[in-house]
Amino acid sequence: MTEKQNVPFLEVRDLVVHYTSEGKEIHAVNNVSLTIEKGQTLGLVGETGAGKTTIAKSILRILPEPPAHVDQGAILLEGRNLLELPAQEMQKIRGKRISMIFQDPMTALNPVMRVGEQIAEGVALHEKVSRAEAEKRAQEMLEMVGIPASRYRDYPHQFSGGMKQRVVIAMALACSPDILLADEPTTALDVTIQAQVLDIIKELQKKLNTAMIMITHDLGIVAEVCDHVAVIYAGEVVEFGNLEEIFDHPAHPYTIGLFGSLPDINSDVERLSPIAGMPPDPSNLPKGCAFSPRCPYATEECSRQKIGLDKIDGTHLCRCINRGKEE
Amino acid sequence: MADKAIAAAGPDVRARRKKEGQFTLVMKRLSKNKVAMAGLVIILLLFLAALLAPVIMPYGYEEMDMLNRFAPPSLKHLCGTDEMGRDIFSRLLYGARASLELGFLATIFSTAVGMLIGSIVGYFGGIVDTTVMRLVDILQAIPGVLLAIAISACLGSGFFNTILALSIGGIPMTVRLLRGSIMGVRKMEYLEAAQTINCSVPRLIMKHILPNSISPIIVSVTMGIGNTILMAASLSYIGLGVQPPTPEWGAMLSGARTYMRDYPHMVLFPGLAIALVVLSLNMLGDGLRDALDPKLKQ
Amino acid sequence: MWKYVVKRLLWMIPVLLGISVVIFTIMYFCPGDPAMAILGNGATPAAIEAKRIEMGLDQPYLVRLLSYLNQVFLHFDLGDSYFQNQSVLSGILYRMPYTLIIAALCMLLQIFIGTPLGITAATHQNGFADRACMIIALAGVSIPGFWLAMMLVLFFSVKLGWLPPYGVGGIQYFILPCIANAFAGIASQARQTRSSMLEVIRSDYIVTARAKGLSERDILYKHALPNALIPIITVVGNGMGMMLGGTVVIESVFSIPGIGMYTTNAINNRDYPIVMGGVLFLGAVFSLIMLLVDIIYAYVDPRIKAQYEGQQKRKRRSKNG
Repeated sequence: MTEKQNVPFLEVRDLVVHYTSEGKEIHAVNNVSLTIEKGQTLGLVGETGAGKTTIAKSILRILPEPPAHVDQGAILLEGRNLLELPAQEMQKIRGKRISMIFQDPMTALNPVMRVGEQIAEGVALHEKVSRAEAEKRAQEMLEMVGIPASRYRDYPHQFSGGMKQRVVIAMALACSPDILLADEPTTALDVTIQAQVLDIIKELQKKLNTAMIMITHDLGIVAEVCDHVAVIYAGEVVEFGNLEEIFDHPAHPYTIGLFGSLPDINSDVERLSPIAGMPPDPSNLPKGCAFSPRCPYATEECSRQKIGLDKIDGTHLCRCINRGKEE
Repeated sequence: MADKAIAAAGPDVRARRKKEGQFTLVMKRLSKNKVAMAGLVIILLLFLAALLAPVIMPYGYEEMDMLNRFAPPSLKHLCGTDEMGRDIFSRLLYGARASLELGFLATIFSTAVGMLIGSIVGYFGGIVDTTVMRLVDILQAIPGVLLAIAISACLGSGFFNTILALSIGGIPMTVRLLRGSIMGVRKMEYLEAAQTINCSVPRLIMKHILPNSISPIIVSVTMGIGNTILMAASLSYIGLGVQPPTPEWGAMLSGARTYMRDYPHMVLFPGLAIALVVLSLNMLGDGLRDALDPKLKQ
Repeated sequence: MWKYVVKRLLWMIPVLLGISVVIFTIMYFCPGDPAMAILGNGATPAAIEAKRIEMGLDQPYLVRLLSYLNQVFLHFDLGDSYFQNQSVLSGILYRMPYTLIIAALCMLLQIFIGTPLGITAATHQNGFADRACMIIALAGVSIPGFWLAMMLVLFFSVKLGWLPPYGVGGIQYFILPCIANAFAGIASQARQTRSSMLEVIRSDYIVTARAKGLSERDILYKHALPNALIPIITVVGNGMGMMLGGTVVIESVFSIPGIGMYTTNAINNRDYPIVMGGVLFLGAVFSLIMLLVDIIYAYVDPRIKAQYEGQQKRKRRSKNG
């Protein structure tokens, strides 16, 4: 921890990102602010296309530019704005201080490079160690994620999806990063493998005291690994709070809807209640609350102007003017 | 309501709808590509010129003027005259017919045959596939120009013989291409879906496989025409294929060889004409490829 | 791996047999009577008939085909030229160096100029370098090689007098033919390299590499290029076929006494043994190049290589996995 206790470890401030596609502007991230402290886990929850991955990629500055473009905002690592760093400084941070686990293990590995070398490459780069040492470290990492070190010289096509994802995790954790961005690390995997992979991530996170941003649309995973949760809808944080606040007292209609569409073996409901409608077209977002067209509690006022993110209590924030009225 | 009507009309209408949608999308993308549009315009202009050649030619293509041999380019003779005083510009205009016809017909012929063989091979697989593909391997092991030269020598000169000579070498490539895409498409689930509703085999190929394999074919046809025109020119350059006095561009170059040191204009313009046609076809082909596969272009 | 190479080498035998059958058949149906051509127009019908029998031309197609194949593949004899007092094999061996030198030089030019051009274009996508490279490449694939050859001769030989316009001799005689013949290959290599690089640059694993903190240079050369090479190699192979075909025409422009010239002259003279021998030879060269391409392919792409490795290794691996 730094001495300056008031400076958050990582802060995303007023981030705005848009994409350009065939002449249309797609508003992927709209004024997102987040903070995360060392050793903690923040969950980013939301539907596909809500802008979660874009937020993570902006933090690492690996968005494809063009078509993506960061319009405004700051990403502060211990108070230093990453968006303003020169490219070479940023390269020293990527993989060393912040690293990322990608969504699709099938395509995230270079098919013509031995998996061990793909891990060792980052180690050699950041830790300034010899090739042999980097190789040794990579083998340790493989063992740590449950892959025999003897498979160091194998190629990605010789691995199953679950094992590839372990390699990706080993790669991300090889330099003991301070922050891990996990982008739906289990979505592409079988259910049984999902639990294993999640356990590995949790265990390593604890061991290395790594802060983590867990991107997922699976509330079960959130409940299992996260300390805080940010619910993202149409590129905005619509609700933020710690685990109890979100799970026990969900305040935003969208969050409530998310829980409604989740099967619960303890309660005796006949049907799940999915959220009606589709996520809004990000090139043509509704005025006012982006969720209002789908919201069962929406009033005329909702679509009139942008809604602020208001504090409920403690760390709990919510972006809704009708909160409380619905009950 | 409209949606329901379409659903009731069955998959045919919907498929056609979808195809139309894709077609307009591709055309829209293509029309935004300035280079491709320039290529298309040049091709169309050349077609028009070839079609109207008898009308717009300033001189007859066989009209000799022995007093004006080897005349350099001037207002009277835009591209000069050749060793018999014939106007090169007129000959080029008329020659566009031969080159364009050869290029288009030979490519279309080889693509049609290749597609037929390719669909059969790609669909049935197994022993048919192995046999035909081995034959294709053999045919492809002979350099294309050489094969065309040999066939052309065997069949003799003449328009249709030349088309045959030019097209046989192109068949293996189309077979390979179509077989490849059919093999890729075959594994897709929608084919299984089509089979479960008892779609007959030829119908499966016609309605489901071909439309999905067509984009690489379109691109290869466009580029193929250019290559065939180049090959036709090489063929007549070494004295095979279309014979003088038909003013084929390659044959004009071949004839001009002897005089090239003293009268470079005689080789300059026919070559430029060939390059212009092939270039515009390639420009169009590039644009088509990008329009059909937009992920390569931002 | 060796097993694969041997297998591919053995596969060349049926390919060459196939080429022989194809070219023999084409030549069989050629109009004109070699016997009459040899004896000249003044020969009596009886003499021509005698000559036909002597040459075996009166035999049916299948008999002649089998005896040709027997002669070529079991006795390594390509027959004798009808008109030149020489065996086809010695004729080919004598002319081979010229064709092979041109082919090899063109291959090198295509790989070592075309590939860097394509990489430059891809890494500067839509920039000036990209536009410039691609305009040159587009022109390259559109210009007829033999016409380019004529233009080069007009400029460098006739106008500047720097290089010999035709014939053979020192290295200076090969410069113009190689440039003219390689230009299209360089251009298509550059185009393929560019599009293949652009596709690879968009892959997820490139993002992974970037997220690791690698410099753009390392990403390009360590991650993007090896992957982009895979489709490029196929194009190199196909380009070689076009180039070998190109030498046939280029040799005639520059009067280079190589295999191409030998074969095309023979076609005009109806000297069929030479035509068949020449085509067979060029087919063999092309097949060898393709074999080389496939081996490099397997070497670069571990997924292909794995298919050809021994069964045992695979079993061991599946036990581990």
